[in-house]
Amino acid sequence: MNLNANPNIPEEVRAVAADGTQLRYALMEIAREMDDVIALGRGDPDLDTPPHIVEAAKAAIRDGRANPTPVKGMDDLRAAIAAHMRQVNGLPVGADNVMVTTGGQEGLFLAIQALIDPGDEILVPDPRYSSYDDAIQRAGGVMVAVPTNREDAFNLEAEAVEAAITPASKALLIVTPSNPTAGIVTEDRARAIADVAIRHNLIVIVDEIYGKIVYEPWRHFSIGSLPGMAERAITLDAFSKSYAMTGWRCGYVAAPANVIDAMARVKQVTTGPVATVSQWAGLAAITGPQDCVSEYLNIYTERRAVLLDGLDRMGFSYGEPRGGLFVWADSSSTGIHAAELSYLLLKEGRVLIFPGTAFGDQWREYVRITMLEPIDTLKEAVDRMLPVLERYRL
Amino acid sequence: MLFPQTLSRSLAQRVTSLDEPRSPIANMPSLPASVIEAAASALDRGETHYTDRPGIPEFRAWVAHHMRERYRVSVDPAEVTITCGSTEARFVCMTLLAAPGSSVLCPGDSSRIRGAAHLVGTSIVDAFRDDISLLYIRPDDYRETSIELLQRAEETDWWIVYDLSFAKTLAPFHPAQNPKLASRVVTINSLSESMAGWRLGWMAGSEMALRLRASKQAITICTTAVSQWAGLEWARTQL
Repeated sequence: MNLNANPNIPEEVRAVAADGTQLRYALMEIAREMDDVIALGRGDPDLDTPPHIVEAAKAAIRDGRANPTPVKGMDDLRAAIAAHMRQVNGLPVGADNVMVTTGGQEGLFLAIQALIDPGDEILVPDPRYSSYDDAIQRAGGVMVAVPTNREDAFNLEAEAVEAAITPASKALLIVTPSNPTAGIVTEDRARAIADVAIRHNLIVIVDEIYGKIVYEPWRHFSIGSLPGMAERAITLDAFSKSYAMTGWRCGYVAAPANVIDAMARVKQVTTGPVATVSQWAGLAAITGPQDCVSEYLNIYTERRAVLLDGLDRMGFSYGEPRGGLFVWADSSSTGIHAAELSYLLLKEGRVLIFPGTAFGDQWREYVRITMLEPIDTLKEAVDRMLPVLERYRL
Repeated sequence: MLFPQTLSRSLAQRVTSLDEPRSPIANMPSLPASVIEAAASALDRGETHYTDRPGIPEFRAWVAHHMRERYRVSVDPAEVTITCGSTEARFVCMTLLAAPGSSVLCPGDSSRIRGAAHLVGTSIVDAFRDDISLLYIRPDDYRETSIELLQRAEETDWWIVYDLSFAKTLAPFHPAQNPKLASRVVTINSLSESMAGWRLGWMAGSEMALRLRASKQAITICTTAVSQWAGLEWARTQL
């Protein structure tokens, strides 16, 4: 579907929607100037950081435990993360294999700087989390798209990975559960992909930031736990989503020790250590009671059902969202380009969603909608969007 | 159990010659009670989410006010980005303002930009040459040399980074006071002398301000929320 295809769309909308990738940020700026917008765009959990984590941070502040830490992070936190990743993810890692990062996004930036030389190819499933483009481009890396599809719930196929490999291929980047598709790489697929990675000596960088948010009956699986993967897997995670801690900017990476050393050298001259108070919060999160994680998952499960019901009413279809905080919905039934549709829904419906074009140029018939508002608000968002769709639908 | 020590493939060339990380600064001074309470209050208010990408508006407004009051330099708060210490600000500036293959002219201590320059692929030089894209100066540099280079900058298209972090000289001199240069000057500063563990810095000004902000966001999205509230209180009461 092309821009200008729908004669019902005002010229003003066409002008704004022309730059699909940047539109995500433009929409957020527009929304900021509007009143009473329901924000279903950015992936910032509306839920609060659990009280025991906040109290641990406050205690650290009041006790004067805020001095800067080594750039890899506090020793206790690195050891606790390693223990957690051994127990929960099955990764064969110790504290030397872990560093603390300023959120998950920085983890990817550091890994790319440490691993990718100009001209190296990195395989990236399509659609992709386009915020990672910058990190790859800074290093001179070349992104090679690996297709996924709705009929397969955007699960990654080993055959598709292998078909994209060239002599210049150095790494595969997986995000599971995926942002934006909410698909997961299932265990059987992960095993097949690991075989490919080992045969072609590929590094596998896997972002598991939504790994604790997977819906029944599905299960998260860490590809780094498989035999032969320890020396080639870089596993990224963060406290941001699972523990509702986006503003603390605290994530972590598990990798072979020489990669951690290299990433630390980069971090030293690019951002420095993570804020100490955030590390104390992270330590409380990972060593404290985990009830909050399952409690939040239950909340998201209920919201997901409400949102999917609303999308059915709107005439949108979707691959099964198996994890994460989004629904990646096919909006082609509207006959409206996704960029124009997102702008219309914001300006006339006061609902902020992101166009698929923000996650790959060809995703003009898809939108990404978050479930990061209470159920009543999600229902109201659907009620606001329905009349806009009726007004402009072809 | 043996844990993996070595990746199955080679590391990127750029990391092989980077220095080992330094030991962290120890024995930071105690924070005033009002700063501790500002941080605790922010957490009680639920300031645990992403902030505005460039930083909380109150802090950016304070930075603009501070530059006007201390240096008589006018910067719009929209041209201010709060960063993870001055380290992130320096790296972002190097990324956008120093073209790969060009030179960064640094007449004084270059230790704080050496690593970032290496990652970006620029050389640091201490004397004029033809391929300079960025002039990096600090208040502690020999003043006459800085003034001479700034005069030369008027005839060039150099970007100028004025790094106030850890400066011992507090004179009100500022290169952006020169209207011929103001749109090309980025000011960097931080609270790291007093609050190093909170990771707070900023970059302010220049016609590249919005691109600098976007570049920071691509690395760390925003700066730690509670740090910004604590730093705001420190700045308001101590500077």
